[in-house]
Amino acid sequence: MLSTWARSEPMEENFSLAAEWYDGTNALRHSGVLRWDGADRLTLDASGMETQFDVADLQFAENRPDQIVYRRETVPDFRLILPAELPPGLAARLPAESNYGAWIDRLGLGRSVAAFAVVSAAAVALFLTAPDWLGPRIPASWEREIGEAMIGDFGGRICHTPAGDAALAKLLDKVDPAEEKVRAGIANMDMVNAVALPGGQVLLFDGLVQQAETPEELAGVLGHEVGHVRERHVMTALLRQFGLSILLAGADSGVTNSVFGLAAMGYSREAEREADSYARARMRESRISPLGAAGFFERMAEQHGDREEEGSAVLGWLASHPSAGERAEAYRDAAREGADYPPVLSEAEFAALKSMCEDDPDVEEFGFF
Amino acid sequence: MNGSHQNEDADSAFAFEGNWQDFAKIALPNLLLTIVTLGVYRFWATTRERRYLWSRTRFVDENLEWAGTGMELFFGFVMVFVLFGIPYFGLSFVAQALVARGYESLGIALSAVAALAIFYLLGVARFRALRYRLSRTRWRGIRGGSNSNGFLFGLSYMWKTALGWLPLGLLLPWSMTSLWNERWNRMSFGPFAFEADARSGNVFARFLLFYLSPLVFFIGGMVMAAMGMLAGYGIGGEGGAQIGGIIGMVGLILFFYLGLGLIAVAFYAKYYREVVGATRWRDLGFHFEASSLDWVKLLLGDALLVVLTFGIGFVFLSYRHWKFFVTHLDAHGEILLDELTQSQTRTARHGEGLLDAFDMGAI
Repeated sequence: MLSTWARSEPMEENFSLAAEWYDGTNALRHSGVLRWDGADRLTLDASGMETQFDVADLQFAENRPDQIVYRRETVPDFRLILPAELPPGLAARLPAESNYGAWIDRLGLGRSVAAFAVVSAAAVALFLTAPDWLGPRIPASWEREIGEAMIGDFGGRICHTPAGDAALAKLLDKVDPAEEKVRAGIANMDMVNAVALPGGQVLLFDGLVQQAETPEELAGVLGHEVGHVRERHVMTALLRQFGLSILLAGADSGVTNSVFGLAAMGYSREAEREADSYARARMRESRISPLGAAGFFERMAEQHGDREEEGSAVLGWLASHPSAGERAEAYRDAAREGADYPPVLSEAEFAALKSMCEDDPDVEEFGFF
Repeated sequence: MNGSHQNEDADSAFAFEGNWQDFAKIALPNLLLTIVTLGVYRFWATTRERRYLWSRTRFVDENLEWAGTGMELFFGFVMVFVLFGIPYFGLSFVAQALVARGYESLGIALSAVAALAIFYLLGVARFRALRYRLSRTRWRGIRGGSNSNGFLFGLSYMWKTALGWLPLGLLLPWSMTSLWNERWNRMSFGPFAFEADARSGNVFARFLLFYLSPLVFFIGGMVMAAMGMLAGYGIGGEGGAQIGGIIGMVGLILFFYLGLGLIAVAFYAKYYREVVGATRWRDLGFHFEASSLDWVKLLLGDALLVVLTFGIGFVFLSYRHWKFFVTHLDAHGEILLDELTQSQTRTARHGEGLLDAFDMGAI
């Protein structure tokens, strides 16, 4: 037992030394002596006024040049100021000084740094790779609900006519052979773009439809976006964006910036290539000529220069794609020499798609303000 | 033991007794630990720095003590994240979803509400940071604090700041001094409240200097450029005029960045002398005597330190700023130690979470 051991110490150990203290109730400084009985009791004596307490009541407060300050657990704001050079017997009984914080003091600075570094590196690695392995494992039904919450019905901006809907369904059937189809629509927006939204929803913008010269071009773009949905890229990108915004919030310790992070979401180039090869595979199965899509990308390369296309910053999840020229080549290579591809849609069906937004009386205009 | 302290004018009531070598032994391990913990250690790092700075600061005949802990700062941060960060995140999400659904104006209104809430919380944060620092400061075992929670101050902060900007920013000196007064009048140390009655009239001349100088500089700069062109033409004809004009333009740009910066510092130096000088505690009056030149030296020193050490020197900035603050601060008057009893204000158990979240200073 500690106390038995202490009592077995020679009694010369008990002594008194000069001390100063504040009692925490007023600002008066008390000067006097601290007496130690060689065991657990301490007595403060200022010209006859005595205060007694246990050694265990003391807590380390701070070091000063040549002084150590202690607090008392039971008396708030009590401060005992002792000289830094204490007799070893007493020093051993007093609480150890705390420096970096409890864990690090116990472990030592060097070992703590190493341990923290390992844990942090693991956390960063987990954090960076999580979207890639977690994204595809999130049930499609959850993704659909997240998509519902984020976008809903797109504010009635999706064009519908009976003939157009039928043509789109036919086109979708060729590039999305699965039993449960993704939801596809043509949005009343005058932009040459197409998006895969959270929740398995694919939108072609009317600007892109107007610009298409053959239905094969639309099949290529639609197949590409369906590829994003089927390969679960949307969830991966969402998770990556979410993680990034949390990281930003932590790094600058400000909540204000996290929202801006959400505006810059995109797919990796690898994901874009995966979606392209998905589209080509479906087109091969459905005997759709890839030359239409190749022509589309060649036109894109001519119009916008052969560079990385920036997704629109307005809707965060618009994609940034590999260079258009490179993609056109990949589609052109996929065409089999001398093969005879039947047209994917009839003239009338293609025309129905083109006039879909014009003919729909109920569709909302797209505008942010 | 009982008695009063009268301090002579000869030496300042506040003195700083630290040195940068000792501080380095705290700040550099702090930096290392903060990096390897991905920033989590910064709450404990802040506490360790303050413990050093406070303990090396002497007021009259006793040193200050920082009684705050890293854990409470950490809890403060977590609390702010849960109470405000997550709702804010949710609000932004709903606003985006509304815009996507076609309710643009509703979405934008919601975003505006979120921005307004941030503005309000900024004011609350400034108040609570000062309260936290006073309540964790000990002098002779006595602490400070406030009985106000800062929620009302947040409202004042909103309307006074807005009103300050409204007449083309001309009322900013008023809003700054008035908010200083309002904040300090609700603070106390021991049993006694602080009193502040800073007046904006005393700093308004400096503010006008700052306010009007862009115009003056612009005209002056144009004249300079024209003169440069003329001089250049005299020396080297057409080409000379071009070079002269370019030198004039460079002069103009330098004027704008350095000149305006200097005048902003001059205003702030005057403002700080005014507000500290108008703050009292019981029979004690405070003084802050840093001149504009002192501030310029401080800021230039900061910049040089950070640049010359490739950024690592930034860990010494808190040391430099605290030392600057303490060495230029003085107090005169009388303290009756007998009547200086413990503060009865409530102490918050958590740290300056809000302020930390918004990354601002208290004083």
